[in-house]
Amino acid sequence: MNRLRTLFTRFLARRASLKELDEELRFHLEQSTQANIAAGMAPKQARRQAMIGFGGVEQAREATYRQRPGWLLETALQDARYALRGFRRNPAFTITVIATLVLAIGATTAVFSVVDRILFRSPYAHDDRIVSVGLSQSLEKQEFMLGGFFYEWRDNQKPFEAMAAESTGPHACVLAEAKPVQLNRIDAQAGLLPLLGISPVVGRNFLPEEDRPNGPSVAMITYGLWKNHYGLDAGILNRLVNIDGNPTRVIGVLPRDFEMPTLQAADVIMPLALLEAEKQRSQNSGIGQPMRVFARLKPGVSIAQARAQMEPLFLHTQQTFIPAEIRKDFHLSIRSLRDRQTGDVQLVAWVLLGSVLAVLLIACANVASLMMARGAARERELAVRSALGASRGRLIRQTLTEAFLLSMAGAALGLALAQGLLLIFVAMASTSIPFLDRAHLDLRIAGFTMLLALLSGAFFGLIPALQKPRAMALTARTTHSSRHAFLRRGMVVGQIAVSMILLSGAALLLRSFRKMETQNLGIQTRGVMTARISLQGVSTGPVAGVVSRNGQKQMELFLQAEAAVRRLPGIDAVGWSDSFPPGGGWQNATFYSDFAIEGKPRPAQREGGMVRFRGVTPDYFRALDIPIVRGRGFSEEERSSGEQFLVLSRLLASRLFPQEDPIGKRIGMGSDGTSFTVVGIAENVRNGGLSEQDMPEAYWLRRNVAADWGVPVPVMVFDTVLSPSAVAQWVRSQIEHLNPMVPVEIETLNERVSKLADRPRFETALLSFFALTGLAMAVIGLYGVTSFLATQRTQEIGVRMALGANRADILRLIVHEGARLLLLGAALGLAASLALTQLLKSLLFGIGPRDPVTLVAVALLLGLVALAATLIPARAAMRVDPVEALRC
Amino acid sequence: MPPPAKSTGPTESNDLLQGTLDLLILKTLALEPMHGWGVAQRIQQTSKDVLQIGQGSLYPALHRLEYRGWIQSEWSSSENNRRAKFYSLTVAGRKQLTAELKQWDRMAAAIALVLGSAEAAS
Repeated sequence: MNRLRTLFTRFLARRASLKELDEELRFHLEQSTQANIAAGMAPKQARRQAMIGFGGVEQAREATYRQRPGWLLETALQDARYALRGFRRNPAFTITVIATLVLAIGATTAVFSVVDRILFRSPYAHDDRIVSVGLSQSLEKQEFMLGGFFYEWRDNQKPFEAMAAESTGPHACVLAEAKPVQLNRIDAQAGLLPLLGISPVVGRNFLPEEDRPNGPSVAMITYGLWKNHYGLDAGILNRLVNIDGNPTRVIGVLPRDFEMPTLQAADVIMPLALLEAEKQRSQNSGIGQPMRVFARLKPGVSIAQARAQMEPLFLHTQQTFIPAEIRKDFHLSIRSLRDRQTGDVQLVAWVLLGSVLAVLLIACANVASLMMARGAARERELAVRSALGASRGRLIRQTLTEAFLLSMAGAALGLALAQGLLLIFVAMASTSIPFLDRAHLDLRIAGFTMLLALLSGAFFGLIPALQKPRAMALTARTTHSSRHAFLRRGMVVGQIAVSMILLSGAALLLRSFRKMETQNLGIQTRGVMTARISLQGVSTGPVAGVVSRNGQKQMELFLQAEAAVRRLPGIDAVGWSDSFPPGGGWQNATFYSDFAIEGKPRPAQREGGMVRFRGVTPDYFRALDIPIVRGRGFSEEERSSGEQFLVLSRLLASRLFPQEDPIGKRIGMGSDGTSFTVVGIAENVRNGGLSEQDMPEAYWLRRNVAADWGVPVPVMVFDTVLSPSAVAQWVRSQIEHLNPMVPVEIETLNERVSKLADRPRFETALLSFFALTGLAMAVIGLYGVTSFLATQRTQEIGVRMALGANRADILRLIVHEGARLLLLGAALGLAASLALTQLLKSLLFGIGPRDPVTLVAVALLLGLVALAATLIPARAAMRVDPVEALRC
Repeated sequence: MPPPAKSTGPTESNDLLQGTLDLLILKTLALEPMHGWGVAQRIQQTSKDVLQIGQGSLYPALHRLEYRGWIQSEWSSSENNRRAKFYSLTVAGRKQLTAELKQWDRMAAAIALVLGSAEAAS
């Protein structure tokens, strides 16, 4: 209310001061007149002279008025009001510009927010110098380290400032309190946090004496655990908590945005307490315990230099620890932390960023083109205003105000769109794109896109305002100027070319995705469900096959669970496997050369590639509906047999036994040559992931002995005809009944398969969205230019028609104009597509990056839509009445 | 909307420097309150018709000084019983005048020095 009153009084004051000024000036004139009369002039002459002496009354008034404080603000408001009136008069223009800006700002902001963490930002200090160091091997491409190597490397290396290790994977541990909870625990050396440049927000890092075998039991907890479990209680420091039965002192809380360099989820971090170098030789058959190691490069040392400097050390340790026959399979690997974390999605991120920037470019061209058209159409208005005394500065300010208002509206709605898009992104692919679940709107980039839109709008809106308005413009009836037509044509060609590229990329991804979705997996996924039962104390992340298989605890629980689920109604087959097609992973693979057929020479070490190796129970084949093509599957009796059995896939059988019947043959496996008997051959299934080459596959029978239930941890699989959600409830309660402590994760196989397709789906959907957006904008641009040119030629059309041209000729004339731009743009776009789609090669499945069918289809689609856009103005031009056209 | 006037009126080319005009107005008003016409006349007379103040710059200057708080205005009747707006110096304006006079003296002395030495050198 008060504000209203001050506004009102200010308004009154303004009116009053204007009147006062008029009176003051009138008084001045009268005084001059009087003075002139006094000097002997006739009254009429005196007044005339006074007026002349005074100069422009209106100018003086204006100049005086401009001295008022707040004058700038007043004119800005005036400009804004005027701009809004203009927008309301021309809603098609306004809506098109704002919609274009909203799409561009929204999409760019959302995509940048997603890829920023993958490509650019990092929570670690000196992130460019942090590297992952270790060995790589055909079974494990991520760098790993072995205890035997670690000490020698750490003590003799030159390129690094620091090296620190962490355990290979999260272990489940139990925080025993009133209500016990299961947590993930990772062990890390005291040096890891300083190396990453991170310090706890509360408390401290491990001390060296705590990071020793048999040191005091201490732990750091994550911010999430502190917040959710302890309610940010500062008293958590130095409290003794019970972890896996050991009283453990909490000594620190990690920062909110902390993440392990391996990106593994952890709630509790405890000291790694590495055994001394000598003791490592007694671990893990002499090569020492597995771990992950990170290091910080000395300033100025490149990764390539570091690799060269580490090579001799690597060769030396390799000779000391790794048996000669497998030696050549181990390599030294040093990668930047960013590559370690996001190496496999960087390409996707760049592709998405590139396409959204292309959309932004098209949008800017559109805004520019629209502003230019508007400027040209307003040439006459500007000329009139200028003739009435508007200064150049004032006209420019007006144009800028308009551009600013449009950008602001576009930005506000665009941010809302970006927020919505982010939600959709997260729903689509929160697990397959790293960091996506934590992505939030990036205001820097929103500001940047806004500025870009503002600049492109202002720049092109300014061109007409900056030109000295021609006197012609006041008289000419057709005010359209052809000066910007060339620039606008060029922009349309560019827009069409860029949208051609986007469309080709999107169409390729779409076709590849369709192929992936509809391919024959070789298994039945409908009605098949899986239940993962996590038991604490069992490592779920073994490294490079150096895993021990001890599953004492698990077997009992798992067999009980199996029996309980079998009793449920509507459930048919209940089996176990460590993984499911079409997925896999290195844990479930072995070397072809590990299959030594008895009575035949053993194949050379590490030759013949990899073989998928799954430990299953008899019902596995029935649950997934995998046909046995020869022999038979495993039988229930064999589960209690002392012998070991194998089922081979058709592919593996044909490679191992090209000429013979494999049934009944015995195969020695692994270094100890345990003998397995082949009982059957199963049909091939998709087993290298959705888009990779199929691998040969062998199934070994998990018998009812503890050793068979260790690592890799089996997951229960069963098929049902009932609704999955109901069955999930029953199964969960059955297992909870056996042991309320263990978490159970139940999924349908369809969900699992669909999750594998998350990333391709995400890429495909996004790129398609961008391509369609780009296409729509390019078509709007093409339409705008064609109709602009058509209107400009109205008179010419009238003349032509008067001289005998028929309507078809006119139609051809205008369409020809649009088609020229279209053809040029499409040709450029096609050439660029042929070059650029190569980048997508590794993202495509079952389709080449230059698939001719796709490219032709895209070109046709673009051509049809664009031709339609030129037909509309062409038809309007066709209907021009020659009499009307000639008169104007 | 009123079409904004061009800022360059015909009188402006003969204008005094803005700061100088302000100084002249302040000095003139220091003697007694006066209306705009009076100020123009007084300056013209005292300068023996050398300085002719264009109205295009006089009133903007008066209003500018008023917004700055150096002068204040009041409507009262003029010598011939016409209502007129009389301007008078405020306390702040008096201070400003002293400061500007000092500044002017320094400036004039400096210019004199430069011109004098230039003459001496040539």
